[in-house]
Amino acid sequence: MKLPKSITAIVPFVAGVLLALAAGWTAFPRAIYRAQRQPVNFSHRVHADKAGQKCDDCHSFRADGTFAGVPTLDKCSGCHAVPMGNTAEEKAFIDRYVTPGREPQWLVYARQPENVYFSHITHVKLAGMKCETCHGNEGATDGLRAYQEDRVSGYSRDVFRSMKMDDCVDCHRRQGMDHSCLDCHK
Amino acid sequence: MTTTRRNLFKLAGGAAAGSLLTPAPWRLITDTALLSENWPGVPRPKRGEVSYRFGNCALCTAGCAVRARCVAGQPVALAGVEAHPLSRGALCTYGIAGHHLPYHPARLRQGPVAEASAAVQSAIRTLRPNEHCAVLDLRPGRTASWTYRRAMASVRNGMYLASESNTAVDLASAKTVLSLGVPVLDGWGTPGNVWALRGGFHLIQAEPVESRTAVMADLWLPIRAGSEAALLDAVRGGSASDAAAQTGLSEQQIASLARELRENGPSLVLDRNGASPMIARREAPVPEEWKKAVPATQLASVSEESIRVLLIDESMPGEYLPWSAIQPKLTSDCVVVSFAWSKEGYGRQARFTLPAAVYPEVVDDIPPAIDSPAAMFRLAAALVAPPEGMVSPTGFIAGLAGIDAKNALQERVAAIQKSGRGSVFDPSGAAKPADLWKALQAGATWIDDREPRASVISTQIASPLADDKNRSSAPLAIAFSEPRAAALVSPLMSKVTNESGLRLGTHGVAIHPSDARGAGLAEGSRARLETASGFVTVDISVDDTVPPGVIQVGGGPDLQNVCGANRRGRVVAL
Repeated sequence: MKLPKSITAIVPFVAGVLLALAAGWTAFPRAIYRAQRQPVNFSHRVHADKAGQKCDDCHSFRADGTFAGVPTLDKCSGCHAVPMGNTAEEKAFIDRYVTPGREPQWLVYARQPENVYFSHITHVKLAGMKCETCHGNEGATDGLRAYQEDRVSGYSRDVFRSMKMDDCVDCHRRQGMDHSCLDCHK
Repeated sequence: MTTTRRNLFKLAGGAAAGSLLTPAPWRLITDTALLSENWPGVPRPKRGEVSYRFGNCALCTAGCAVRARCVAGQPVALAGVEAHPLSRGALCTYGIAGHHLPYHPARLRQGPVAEASAAVQSAIRTLRPNEHCAVLDLRPGRTASWTYRRAMASVRNGMYLASESNTAVDLASAKTVLSLGVPVLDGWGTPGNVWALRGGFHLIQAEPVESRTAVMADLWLPIRAGSEAALLDAVRGGSASDAAAQTGLSEQQIASLARELRENGPSLVLDRNGASPMIARREAPVPEEWKKAVPATQLASVSEESIRVLLIDESMPGEYLPWSAIQPKLTSDCVVVSFAWSKEGYGRQARFTLPAAVYPEVVDDIPPAIDSPAAMFRLAAALVAPPEGMVSPTGFIAGLAGIDAKNALQERVAAIQKSGRGSVFDPSGAAKPADLWKALQAGATWIDDREPRASVISTQIASPLADDKNRSSAPLAIAFSEPRAAALVSPLMSKVTNESGLRLGTHGVAIHPSDARGAGLAEGSRARLETASGFVTVDISVDDTVPPGVIQVGGGPDLQNVCGANRRGRVVAL
């Protein structure tokens, strides 16, 4: 059956639309990100359950109020100078980092642009926010998920999910908090 | 269906349309913008140790105490110091972004230093007997001011031009304040101090336009522009009916005002040129050997065509004298050198404009503000290094006289410490620091003891100006209702101060819709404001709260230059 001319005329256009939709929604998200492994497949759950650690045992505030962020090697080697368990992962960590005294180059999921000033102490101590509110339930994970790096901008996929400026502004609005340019962009 | 070029174009068009319905193009736009933040050459804030330094803001004589948060030594944020006895933690839109000024695109980075020096020295050598070499100091009362006075004492026919700086008002004692257009609650004096004392006085704001101060005052008297002298005369016992005719107020209002000033005293009258009463404030001590210096001379008392060399220190923001008042005093071959942050202000008239270090690049002391009855000594800290090529006005001028003034600040501090007077506010908490110089460099403030019987000075205020009658060629009465603005404003803060409509901005004026229609102007248009002192290009706001026949002007130095000595002007469409 021969299709009417009016239908055959738009077939290429519709095909183009469908191809673009497929590419844009399935292939593009895969292509834009490059998965990178963390230097060590750290288990938060093991450290929380077996070692009884809480978030701020390692991710702590310094005496002057600044946030230590991802802990440095000396925090880990305080316990892991010798193997505490029998996993290959721990052994590799000690061989590669603790013994030679080399800092692991952690890929920070929440890394923000240089022009952003964020005060952890204001949000944690003053506002009483829980870590999980912004960072998710990382404390229950058995390993570190791959760092999905945007190939163009270099930022983590996690930032686009829930740590964009709009997300911060929305939360401030919901909480009835003031916000101005200079609060975050010094 | 065949593969034709048309079909291929249709496919491509469909793909383009379809891609708009996917995250791809929008995400690529965002990512490219983010990528551009990391290109080579994009300045990156330093990472490093966080530290805090204390100092004082040098952008006006309020000298508000400042705490600078620094990262790897680079100031990244400024905040007020709440414990400071005068500024009480306040910091204005200019001061809070003061650390941006060294990076301002309009700041001067080079100038004809050698040519200026040669021209000045040549002119000084050939001064005729009735000619002078003069320094115009826009911010008198500093240690630099003493250096200029000492230098001019050593230079042939040297003269030091400055307004009176050793007078103050006692706002803490006032029960009633009559302000004739002074922005008392909007940047006047030391704002933190004014607001701390606000509950102690009844504020009556008399001005034609309802300014921010008028809105927040206890009473706004909407007088006609230029009628301040008549109002003041009436409250001092003159004719209330004459004043009513000129001001537009009723005789009852004027009588009520006079009664309040009389019965709810002490009362204070403020005018843009001064106040009544004013009290004499002694200066912070200086070394004895400095007192062989020329006294300050008022520009009005200088003979016409007698200044052959004019050196203008604009390096610290201060009150602008209109160029029209200065020019008649200059000889036809006068060498005018301006030390400035930018080409705004006198840079447009000077033969040589030399780049001076901006705040907060240089250590300088800040004279006390008008609302400080006691002398003060505090320093603006140098938080960043100035770029190469900056000229020190004190170094240049002291060099003309062969004076070494490199350690002038330290010498003065030694004199202060030797006097044994006063007390020290130290943000670090030390009650009486052993080393005053060190404490001042770390942000302390020396506050003099109040003189038990400071003498009261009577000043001439609210004088009608010469061109008050010049209505046909200058139909608009000028009303100032904005505080004076610094010549350089942080590009971030200019969104607030200049471009948002919250303020008139450095070149902003506002007129009534009928005046705008008459001049063929609309909201946002550019025009020329002409007065007897000159003209300046302005940005027009059309505002029906401005009375007809009045032009409300912003606080920028160019507007001060042109409008400062004039009450009337006109706007002409460009």
